[in-house]
Amino acid sequence: MTIVLGIESTAHTFGVGVATDEGKILANIQKIYRPAKGGIHPREAAQHHAAKAAEALEEAFKTAGIKPSDIDAVAFSQGPGMGPCLRTGATVARTIATVLGKPLIGVNHGIAHIEIGKLVTGCGDPVVLYVAGGNTLITALINKRYRILGETLDIAAGNCLDSFGITAGIGPMPAPEIKAGEGDTIYELPYRVKGMDVSFSGILTAAEKLLQQGKPIPNVCLSLTETVYSMLTEVTERALAMLDRSSLLLVGGLARSRRLYNMLETMCRDRGARVYVVPDEYAGDNGAMIAWTGLLMLRCGATLPVEQSHVKPRMRIDEVEACWSS
Amino acid sequence: MLEQLDFLENRVIRVGAEAVIKEISWKGLRLVAKHRVPKRYRTAEIDERVRRSRTLHEAKILWHLSENGQPVPLVLFIDLANSIIYMQFLEGVELRSHQSPLRYAERLGEIVASMHSMDVVHGDLTLANILAGEDTGLWLVDFGLSAFNADLEEKAVDIHLLERSAASAFPDKSREFMHLFLRGYSRVVGREKTSEILEKVKEIRSRGRYVVRG
Repeated sequence: MTIVLGIESTAHTFGVGVATDEGKILANIQKIYRPAKGGIHPREAAQHHAAKAAEALEEAFKTAGIKPSDIDAVAFSQGPGMGPCLRTGATVARTIATVLGKPLIGVNHGIAHIEIGKLVTGCGDPVVLYVAGGNTLITALINKRYRILGETLDIAAGNCLDSFGITAGIGPMPAPEIKAGEGDTIYELPYRVKGMDVSFSGILTAAEKLLQQGKPIPNVCLSLTETVYSMLTEVTERALAMLDRSSLLLVGGLARSRRLYNMLETMCRDRGARVYVVPDEYAGDNGAMIAWTGLLMLRCGATLPVEQSHVKPRMRIDEVEACWSS
Repeated sequence: MLEQLDFLENRVIRVGAEAVIKEISWKGLRLVAKHRVPKRYRTAEIDERVRRSRTLHEAKILWHLSENGQPVPLVLFIDLANSIIYMQFLEGVELRSHQSPLRYAERLGEIVASMHSMDVVHGDLTLANILAGEDTGLWLVDFGLSAFNADLEEKAVDIHLLERSAASAFPDKSREFMHLFLRGYSRVVGREKTSEILEKVKEIRSRGRYVVRG
């Protein structure tokens, strides 16, 4: 049996996962940095990760019931993400790999979200909507590469909702979506869809302006979530139509949103497609997804010499050849 | 009111992600109705606003191009309440399934170039959206993703999409097709602008992210 250890540290989560070649997740430990107020400060998050690393690793080995020497490779998220956070995870991974004399694998964080989604939902050949705090894109595997069909032209959908929640004083997601449940009026916000691309920064500014005008927070939340999710659903439908595919996979932190799922479900039902959603425990950033994708990469020998294992804060998913795909 | 105009629906021509295109007739005239259909997933307020503003935008672009002599369908009526554009029916074959697409390439280059010199881009310039008529008559259709005030990158995307579409429709002829297209293009905008845009096309291609429908 092949066992891979995965280390995730792109943003607020330090995660350690253990995956086997049978597709079993033996451990998935998360240590989440929660700032007292405001958004994530990269350096503070990195210090949190460094402080929690040993504890998380110990818990992961204990939960998985394995010894460090049982693992066959060490995978880490190489990018995209916040530089200081990425470097902390990479340092931990390099250290373990070097000490144990095992190969190192640099995993693309976005691809890991997708591959864990495919593993746990069992959906075949989908169009993927990957929405999270730091990323928003629509992609599909075409000729062994995740091609970006559409993406945000500025900030991520999750970032837009989180920032608004923090400004409004209710906190990041899921607070804005919960508050939206009390709203009853939809105000006009910019709806920016360009082909299969979306833009959210104008919406955020407009929503914050509504707050300054004294509009009730629940109504602004409702307007914001409805607009953002409608845009995401629309571009996803366009991608399904363009590639003529009938399955959709929703991954990333925003996969936990019930309203977004509902919209996608309605859209898919109307066009005879099916939507698969990653379960909550694998929706946010986690180590299991890095371990599992590392395992896939190990199968086709995509290991990384330590001297070439620098992190890539702006790494794109289409940089990586999906050598494990058939 | 448009409801009283006695349109006769004949057949559905195309069903896209956003709109249904139908052939209809009115007082013996053949027309095309492009209907942006309601989407159940969106809240009614947002859905109506989005469909209405896009219908208006597309109609404006078509009008602007028609007024400036570009070969696009002439807009006859706009039903904003239902987000329908009624336009001229064009007799022609999609260039992707035409017997001899090369005959049209140079003329197409001229048309796209003169549209680009008005800073208008099509936004989805694939061979399915180019209709070839008798002789060398050509029409551009489906301006749903078009834009005013286009920059160099948007223009380059038009050319990139066309090239990718040609390569998938007739792989053995696509090089010659693009060669002729560019000859027509540069006749209108000049050599310098053409090479500037081709540089941009190269850059977009290297990013490798614009995918074309078949």
